[in-house]
Amino acid sequence: MNASNFVRNVLPPIVPFVVVTVATELAVRQGWVPSFLVPAPSSVVLSMFRDWPELWRATLNTANASLIGFGMSAIIGSLVAIALSSAAWVQRAFYPYAVFFQTVPIIAIAPLLVIWFGWDRTVVASAFIVSIFPVIANTLTGLLSTDPALRDLFRLYDAKRMATLLKLRLPFALPHVMTGLRIAAGLAVIGAIVGEFITGSGIGGSIMVSRQQNRVDKVFAGLLLASLLGIVLFTLVNLISRLSLRHWHASEADT
Amino acid sequence: MFRVIVVAIVAAAISAGCGKGNDSSRPAVTLQLNWKPEPQFGGFYAAEIDGIYARHGLNLTITAGGAGAPTVDMIGAGTVPFAIVSADEIVRARAMGNLVVALFAVYQNNPQGIMTRASREFKTLADVFSHPGILAMERGLPYSDFLQKKYGFGKLKIVPSPFGDLSLYRTEENYAMQCFVTSEPLAAEKTGIEPQTFLIAESGYNPYTTVLATSESYLKSNPLIVKSMIDAVREGWHAYLADPAKANEYMGRLNPTMDAQTFKDSAAAQKPLIESADTKRSDLGAMTLDRWQTLVQQLVELKVIDKPVDAQTCFAELSKAK
Repeated sequence: MNASNFVRNVLPPIVPFVVVTVATELAVRQGWVPSFLVPAPSSVVLSMFRDWPELWRATLNTANASLIGFGMSAIIGSLVAIALSSAAWVQRAFYPYAVFFQTVPIIAIAPLLVIWFGWDRTVVASAFIVSIFPVIANTLTGLLSTDPALRDLFRLYDAKRMATLLKLRLPFALPHVMTGLRIAAGLAVIGAIVGEFITGSGIGGSIMVSRQQNRVDKVFAGLLLASLLGIVLFTLVNLISRLSLRHWHASEADT
Repeated sequence: MFRVIVVAIVAAAISAGCGKGNDSSRPAVTLQLNWKPEPQFGGFYAAEIDGIYARHGLNLTITAGGAGAPTVDMIGAGTVPFAIVSADEIVRARAMGNLVVALFAVYQNNPQGIMTRASREFKTLADVFSHPGILAMERGLPYSDFLQKKYGFGKLKIVPSPFGDLSLYRTEENYAMQCFVTSEPLAAEKTGIEPQTFLIAESGYNPYTTVLATSESYLKSNPLIVKSMIDAVREGWHAYLADPAKANEYMGRLNPTMDAQTFKDSAAAQKPLIESADTKRSDLGAMTLDRWQTLVQQLVELKVIDKPVDAQTCFAELSKAK
């Protein structure tokens, strides 16, 4: 990577981060901001080192639940979207209920989740519930946006429904599916952490206990790890999107 | 015409500015609670209803709290002058540089308890920890560390406290949860389950609870307001203990989750925790150096704080006007 590349691509996101971090550190050390509300970035780093075994274990827990929840959203969400796209009356009858998954506040149904799924699977259930709607919505849009001319072409050749689905509608829906997955990735992490407020495990549990202990540095260390987890998942989806769309769709083509 | 309007607006603005806020004999102060209005705050509300705060020259607003209300932080940040915290929170805060100071301890004996079912036939708190089951508690609180050190959590699945929500208590047989002995057990009885409650205090961990506190800086700059507040609060609690009915009715309207009978039962249940030998000798809300020193010692042993805190600085002994 040469110098001009570095200045153009790497520097811009780093500079604001450095500025904000230094400003926060100064503000806390000078006492402008109480240290028990906002931790000095140096104390967050210290907490990362000091509490690493516990934080890492928590991160693995959350990552595991997020991935499973996200995977379930991707698969089940796509299947639901396919079902909804099969006939207009199916869509009219059932799509409005899919919105339920987007709007239900997880904390409100917490005891129900524990009773239905048990303590250990509540986190996965929460990640799933929170992340499924974007997959359904975007995949459905993709499936309904097939070029009518191509659809007629398939009909002319007397193609069976399954063939039309697999060879025409799904491939053409892929860009939309990827958008849905990008949104669902971050939501799966949020959903997992909310579920962990209920069960006390993972990063969510760690944040809750640290909050009760008034350890703001550890709270922010947990938040940092949660963000990183979301970024990793998001980057993964981006990679899959690039690989699958690179050769034929404008959105991922190298200009 | 335009000029008349401008003068009128300016006059209105000036007179608005000369309203309540500038009345120096009745400074506006807030008391932040750390839970919803319940008998544990009865005296504070009784003082409001009977005009006791006003008589002491205070223009006081009580703000209710809920699960996780960060009252200790709010005092430290100067968001509110007065708030309700517990003694162990004060010690921990002071160790971290947040100089909160206790003024009046409502509960002389800690009402925290562990509630489970009578059907499990436990005789002591130790039984809860020696049988497999679920225990729901706030893991970050010092009393949790105390229980872990004393009894060990090996046989239990520890989950977060449901903050009064009895749903899982009702569905799972082997479920135990943290509670205030004046609150959740009464609610449990109403659902038809006979509760078995064990007081944490009887295991040896007994910090003052529902403690009226302020910051050292506020105390230094407003000693008269603080003294008036303590006197008013003390009077309010005398009034509430004598007859809780009016305050209960008022709190019942603010907090409809508890019915009138539960308010009555809870108020009766908490009396023995509010009155003690110390309060009889001195007055309601009294605190002793001995109790604070014991607490500091326990928190050091539990590694909640690294170094001991000067127990004398944790509470303020303003002269008790009787």
